[in-house]
Amino acid sequence: MNIKDKYAIVGVGYTPQGKVPGRTSISFHTEAIANAIEDAGLKRQDVDGLICYRYFPPLGGEPTVTPYLVAQHTGLKPHMIAQEANCARNQLINAIGWLEMGMCNYVVISYSQNQLSGGRTEAFRVDDYTKAAFGQFGATSGYAMAARRAMHTFHTGPETWKHIAVGQRKWANLNPIAMMHDRLMTFEDYFNAPWVVEPLRLFDNCLITDGGRACIVTSVERARYLRHPVVAVMGLGSYNPSYEIEQSVNMAGPTGARLSGEQAFAMAGITVKDIDACEIYDCFTYTVEITMQDYGFFRPGEGEDWFKDGKIEPGGAMPVNTSGGQLSEAYMMGLTQLTEATMQLMGRCGPRQLGPATKTKSPEIILCSDNGAVLQTHSTTILRRL
Amino acid sequence: MTYQKPLPKPTADDKFFWDGCKEHRLLFQKCSNCGVVRWPPSIICPACYSRATEISISSGKGKLYTFAVYHRAYHPGFASDLPYVTAVIELVEGPHILSNVVSSRIQDLKCDLPVEVIWEDITPEISLPKFRIVP
Repeated sequence: MNIKDKYAIVGVGYTPQGKVPGRTSISFHTEAIANAIEDAGLKRQDVDGLICYRYFPPLGGEPTVTPYLVAQHTGLKPHMIAQEANCARNQLINAIGWLEMGMCNYVVISYSQNQLSGGRTEAFRVDDYTKAAFGQFGATSGYAMAARRAMHTFHTGPETWKHIAVGQRKWANLNPIAMMHDRLMTFEDYFNAPWVVEPLRLFDNCLITDGGRACIVTSVERARYLRHPVVAVMGLGSYNPSYEIEQSVNMAGPTGARLSGEQAFAMAGITVKDIDACEIYDCFTYTVEITMQDYGFFRPGEGEDWFKDGKIEPGGAMPVNTSGGQLSEAYMMGLTQLTEATMQLMGRCGPRQLGPATKTKSPEIILCSDNGAVLQTHSTTILRRL
Repeated sequence: MTYQKPLPKPTADDKFFWDGCKEHRLLFQKCSNCGVVRWPPSIICPACYSRATEISISSGKGKLYTFAVYHRAYHPGFASDLPYVTAVIELVEGPHILSNVVSSRIQDLKCDLPVEVIWEDITPEISLPKFRIVP
């Protein structure tokens, strides 16, 4: 079964984002979904599927953010409802499965967090005592271990990653809603930033964000009657190596990106040569490098050479993370990538719009990745404007 | 001063491991059918699905597969250790386990250096297997 060009993303919902004190997590879900429905030109009664990104424990006495509570706040009583708990990144694939089965006509996917103002969830939280006994906490350490092993396996390191951090920052500088819109970054700034968990410095790490994001998925047939240009799902792939980083032997590649990417490119019937821009999951700079390496943009160890000279920046030959990404725009899990690709293909990105405005190719096909836990889950989406 | 760091809470699956640590022995499950030595502990072999399991004693020798150098304390118990090193140890018997590399200069660490276990007795119930670079 090939669902190439059969389903589309038809609306995007944003909220205030960055440091937004005084807001609950559920309020961001609610606002993002309402805005996405309005953006698509739909009514809440049209939406019959709801998928929430990752469950997080509630902060500060807030209600537990279940998908049921999200449905209640948004006036939805969907046929299908789901939320994952540990960063499996199959939200879009599940949405399309429900549409393909005829269970739903319009599925909304949403993400929300108030971690920045509500308290960093990684700090002082012990959820695995066997790891905590050795001082292993949070995601940065796992990616630091992966990056360290990669540095031992092929040519990579900060001289490669600086191009990713600085390149994405230049996109953020064009994006008024990016958390780092007003903050320039030089290579010197990158190297002067403190270590978090070595070999990862501060600017190798994604942002922590208050805010929400949502998008609406439906059939291309329905999309043709809606208000925006049709952004179709051309290819989908997923692969989940699953093993925890402590037992992984794939941390320096091939990660899940290899087989996930092969699946997506096979469905789309194209190769990396057909890609006009990329929105790559960037929890850390190294994640961008290993994902693009495993997708086949360059061979192992050739990343530094590939990323240099502004390749991924405004004006570059292969724009990457054109909103600023999670490193410099906002952390909205995989919706950072999917919504930016959708907005770019719809031509709605203003100063950062791919095409003449940024001296880049006008995009027809954009490659998106999503990745969860510590390189344990991966999904790939190829979008194109029909 | 009392010990400020979190301690393992042995489960039904890994109690034998922590009991072994008390005696300064690294114990792992070994599949009686295919011989795979596994970690974390499990009731079946993930390779061949055999339920038949024996316990094997590790030599405590292996390689530093990879490591991370913490420059921030995510838990107050580790604040006075900064910078400290968490590591994935590849034991010669096969399993990869999380631990710390201690008593080495951080700038001397490299992936694949040979390591050996050393023991830290924390409480009467818990001893932690840690590793040092083989001189």
